[in-house]
Amino acid sequence: MTSLFTIAWIYLRIGLMFVGGGYVLIPLLNHIMVEQYRWLTLRQFLDGLALSQLTPGPLAMLATFTGFRAGGFPGALVATVCIFLPCVALMLLVGRNYERLKKIDLISSTLDGLLPAVVGLVAAAAWNLGISSLSGLKDFLILAVGFAVFKWTKISPMFVILGAGLVGFLIN
Amino acid sequence: MDTSTHKVSLTDIFLTFATIGLTGFGGGMAIVALVERICVREKKWISSEEFLHGLAFGQILGPFSLNVCTFTGHHLRGIRGGIVAAFGFILPSFLLVSILSWFYFTYNKLPQLQAALKGTNPVIIGLIVVVAIDMGRKQIKGVHGPLMVTAAFCASVFLKLNAAWILLGAAFWSLCSSYYRRRLS
Repeated sequence: MTSLFTIAWIYLRIGLMFVGGGYVLIPLLNHIMVEQYRWLTLRQFLDGLALSQLTPGPLAMLATFTGFRAGGFPGALVATVCIFLPCVALMLLVGRNYERLKKIDLISSTLDGLLPAVVGLVAAAAWNLGISSLSGLKDFLILAVGFAVFKWTKISPMFVILGAGLVGFLIN
Repeated sequence: MDTSTHKVSLTDIFLTFATIGLTGFGGGMAIVALVERICVREKKWISSEEFLHGLAFGQILGPFSLNVCTFTGHHLRGIRGGIVAAFGFILPSFLLVSILSWFYFTYNKLPQLQAALKGTNPVIIGLIVVVAIDMGRKQIKGVHGPLMVTAAFCASVFLKLNAAWILLGAAFWSLCSSYYRRRLS
C-alpha cells in the first residue's frame, strides 16, 4: 500500500495543475494512475471516470476513486482533500480581493460588462448538455415538466430532482 | 470580515451546501443553477450580480461548481464560510464515491445508477434554462448585452471554445469599453 504522504504529494500537484482548467485532468490522471504508478488498469480508470460523473461533485471526484484504490478509505480522503485544496485556497483569495477590488470603479464596471457573457455560457451549457443527453419524446416531456415546475412554482429543486431520479429509475 | 447586517450561521451554510452537494446530479452548471436558485433567489444570501462575478472567476479558475460554492460561502462568512461551503458541497459526493469505489473494487461491478440519472438529466437541463432566462432578464441591457450573450453562446456551442477563454475575451472587451466611456465623460 502506498504511503499517505506519497498520495498527498501526488494529488496536491495534480490539484495545482487542475486550477488551469477542468479537462486537462483526464489525460493527466490517466498518465499518473495508469502508466506511471500502475494503480489502475485502463478499464478501471474509465469505470472510475463514469462513476465519478454519477455524483454531483466535479470531475475531480476521480481523485476519490483512484485514492481509494491506492490507499483505501484514508487514501481516498487524503487524495480528495489535496486535489481540492489549491483551488479552494485560490478561490478564497479571489473572494477576499474581490470585495476590495469591487470598490474601484473601472474594475466593477468591467465585471458588470462581462456578465452577459456569463449568461451566454450558462445557456450554452444547457444546449450542450441537451444535445448530448436528450433523446426521444420521453426526455423532452420530462424536460418540459421540469421547466414548468422551476419557472412557475416555488417547489424546492431538491424534491424535483429526486422525484425525477425516481421516475427515471422506474421507466428505464 | 463580512459586515452584513445579520450573520448566517456556519451550520446553515454547511447544511445548505451539503444538500446541494447531495442532489445536484449532473454536476457543473447543474450546481451553478441550484446555487443560484437557492442562495440568490430563495435565501437572498448574495446578489445576482455578485453571484455572476463569482461564476466568472470560478470558470476561469478550474472546477467552477466547487468555486461558486466557495465564493458564496466566503461572501457570507469570510474564509471560514468558504471552507465550510466547499467542504459541505464535496462531502456527499466524497461519501458516495467512496462507497461506490469500495463496491466496485470488491465486486468488480458498477451499480445501476445510470437509469436514475436518465430521469434527472432532462430536469436539470430545464433548471439551467430557467436560470439562464432569469439571469438574462436582469443582466441583458442595451445593445451590447444581447450581442455579448449571443457571441458567448455561439463561441461555446459552435466554436467549442473553452469557457475561460471566452470570459477572458469578454473581460478584455468590457475593460476597453468601460475605459473608453470614462474617457468620454
